[in-house]
Amino acid sequence: MKKAFTNLAPIAGLLALIILYFVLGTVKDINVTYGLKTIFNQSVVVAVVATGAVFIYTLGSFDISLGASTAVSALVGGMIYLKTENIWLMFLTCIGVAILVALLNSVLASVFNLPVFVTTIAMLSVLNALVLLLITINGTGDEIAVPGSGVGFLDNTGFKLAVLSFYFLFCLFCFNFTPIGRKEKLLGGNPLCAKLTGIDVGKYSIIAFVLCGIGVGLGAFLSIVYAPTLTRNTASSVGMDVIIAIVFGGMPVSGGAKSKIYAALIGAFSMTFLSQIMVMLNLNSGVGQMVKAIIFLAVVFIAAGERSRKTLPR
Amino acid sequence: MEKQEVILTVEHMDKNFGSTKALRDVTLSIRKGEIRGLIGENGSGKSTVTSIIAGMQKADRGQMTYEGKSWEPSSMIEALEQGIGMIVQESGTVPGITVAENIFLADVDRFKTGPVIDRKKMNKNAQDILDQIGAGDIDAAHITGIYDIQSRKLIEIARVMRKSPQILVVDETTTALSQKGRDIIYSIMKKMKKEGKSVFFISHDMEEIMEECDTLTVLRDGVIIRTFEKEEFDEDAIKESMIGRELEGDYYRSDDEGRLTDEVVMELSDVNLVGAEPLIDLNLVLHKGEILGIGGLSHCGMHSLGKVMFGALHPQEGKVTVWGRELKDEADAMNLGIGYVSKDRDTESLVLHAPIRDNIAAGGLDKISGNGFLITPKAEKDYVSEQIKNLEIKCQDMNQYVSALSGGNKQKVVFGKWVGRGSDILILDCPTRGIDIGVKQSMYQLMSRMKKEGKSIVIISEEMAELIGMADRIVILKDGQSRCELMRQDHPQEADIIKYMI
Repeated sequence: MKKAFTNLAPIAGLLALIILYFVLGTVKDINVTYGLKTIFNQSVVVAVVATGAVFIYTLGSFDISLGASTAVSALVGGMIYLKTENIWLMFLTCIGVAILVALLNSVLASVFNLPVFVTTIAMLSVLNALVLLLITINGTGDEIAVPGSGVGFLDNTGFKLAVLSFYFLFCLFCFNFTPIGRKEKLLGGNPLCAKLTGIDVGKYSIIAFVLCGIGVGLGAFLSIVYAPTLTRNTASSVGMDVIIAIVFGGMPVSGGAKSKIYAALIGAFSMTFLSQIMVMLNLNSGVGQMVKAIIFLAVVFIAAGERSRKTLPR
Repeated sequence: MEKQEVILTVEHMDKNFGSTKALRDVTLSIRKGEIRGLIGENGSGKSTVTSIIAGMQKADRGQMTYEGKSWEPSSMIEALEQGIGMIVQESGTVPGITVAENIFLADVDRFKTGPVIDRKKMNKNAQDILDQIGAGDIDAAHITGIYDIQSRKLIEIARVMRKSPQILVVDETTTALSQKGRDIIYSIMKKMKKEGKSVFFISHDMEEIMEECDTLTVLRDGVIIRTFEKEEFDEDAIKESMIGRELEGDYYRSDDEGRLTDEVVMELSDVNLVGAEPLIDLNLVLHKGEILGIGGLSHCGMHSLGKVMFGALHPQEGKVTVWGRELKDEADAMNLGIGYVSKDRDTESLVLHAPIRDNIAAGGLDKISGNGFLITPKAEKDYVSEQIKNLEIKCQDMNQYVSALSGGNKQKVVFGKWVGRGSDILILDCPTRGIDIGVKQSMYQLMSRMKKEGKSIVIISEEMAELIGMADRIVILKDGQSRCELMRQDHPQEADIIKYMI
């Protein structure tokens, strides 16, 4: 019963937020359909990146460089478009750069036997420096501007929904219906046991990062589509939003067996609905951040509480 | 002997975990100077009743009286402060802090001078306690994580004994210990008895429990079945009380044939391994359909040998070949049909915070997926259900977390992981450690069946009776070297084995 409650709480939370959004919208006579589009546009990049990040979190690892990686991938993609005017090349570049960064992270962690968290801190600094460098060298000094005429036709809900759906279903398949997800849950739950069950720790860590890299690349591409003028602030909040979304969605921070691929989607949309509701209630952004922080702590507390109860003897 | 006064009573105690009734109307008492054994199958309620006494959890109903007053400890710390300490079944030390910090875990502040902790003084006091219990070879200043499971248990014992408790609960602690560690526990128990203090001693080892205890209470399914006084101790009667029936069929193998086939499935040639448990110039073969017993004292190299045979440890010299092919690593071992059950079950063989389903399926993902890629929920469910049924794993359903299972059922899950994928060679390191006789018998019967099917088994054990009872051939290791080889048909005796071990 408690297990079912913990599993269903994030979904129930999202449903409650959606209902509250419609009730407030009706009471305050706000155009909820337009609002929904805004919510989707604000959520989609975080939802895509966070869905891939679930593979890393399942291992019990923690990547804080995802936002910076999205920015660098978008900037390099944008530069390629400016040089070739080929949207397909831009797309492939975004994906390629993101996978390359992910591979660097995982290989560094494997080679030096360091916690992923540590290598991603170093990577975050490098990527942030790279963002400034790329804008300075290849743009106007403040921005790299991809012409709206080149990518504007993709800036619609249908395309973004298709990208999100395709990637989510791909990840869902890998996570729930192939040995990849099972092995990563085992690695997150007990790496030593996983090794003694023939699971190659390094290999599955790299697979997790590559799958996440695809999500980062897609997120970078969608960022260009949504806001083609790329600045040092492009995707700047994505890194932190991904972490919050994953926890909001009910993903245990320790990874392992309770990891859920849908946690990212639930979390990303819950966060944006919550923000939108607070705007509707005319609460300032400071109060909004505090409410988010309180909910964040509550979710972690409930998840941790359930685990501690399970350690009691019979 | 004159009976001393009662120090603690438990009356009409109930405890439920969800729909599971862990304790039902349990009433018992313990006298000063008494060593009370608690025995029963896994999940019978032994740990539950003692953990309530020691303040780890609360009963749903019932009263306790300690030293004539109502006893309701709010935590283990409070219970220990009041004189009741417990050494738990699971690992109870924090690996990343020093031994001294573990010993004084909730009491480090007493070494504070202003804001600074006097580590020198704390280490000295901790070392004194370790010396007193006979574990002086553990350095109080070292990080706990560097020590093996036995030493970590001794650190836990030191943590409890520093408070000189009036009542000590020893919960299946000896299963993790070698003879030296066991001797330390026995001497502590005897000393406490002499001082008029009391001990609850939980163990599955019939021999030690009959030797060490004054009285023996048998629990089954949360109910007290019978309490035996020392003069009533009878192994068969105790076993029958425990399982509610006579043991049917053979316990160990009934045959005394130890003939080996010519077909060699695994060969170790000139293996040398450097490390905490080294191996020196080891040559060994395993035949098809053989049960090979490996015995010796703790640290003789037998546990590292198990890992070498599974490809988890790589010898610096020599090689391991399986079906004539050199073994590379764990994944290779699995592809070659080898399964490995670790001595340290909870740490190395199971993901405790994962369902039974995930743990059993983990060993057979390639089998479940068929094409090696697609896993359907139905295929996985069928695969896991079959193992649960064949091994008679007692559980609510396959989604129950392994951490909620008893020791014997946890071990069955580990077996399920390897038996399910049809392993041809099983390496079992202390496979019956900490499990009751009912489950032990079913494990032995499973090994006998597998032998008949032509599977090869390596059983690594510190229990001589187990090796003699099950193995076709016993190899005794000492200091990493093979000291002797004894054949089943020669009817080896424990005394024969021990003289090569020490």
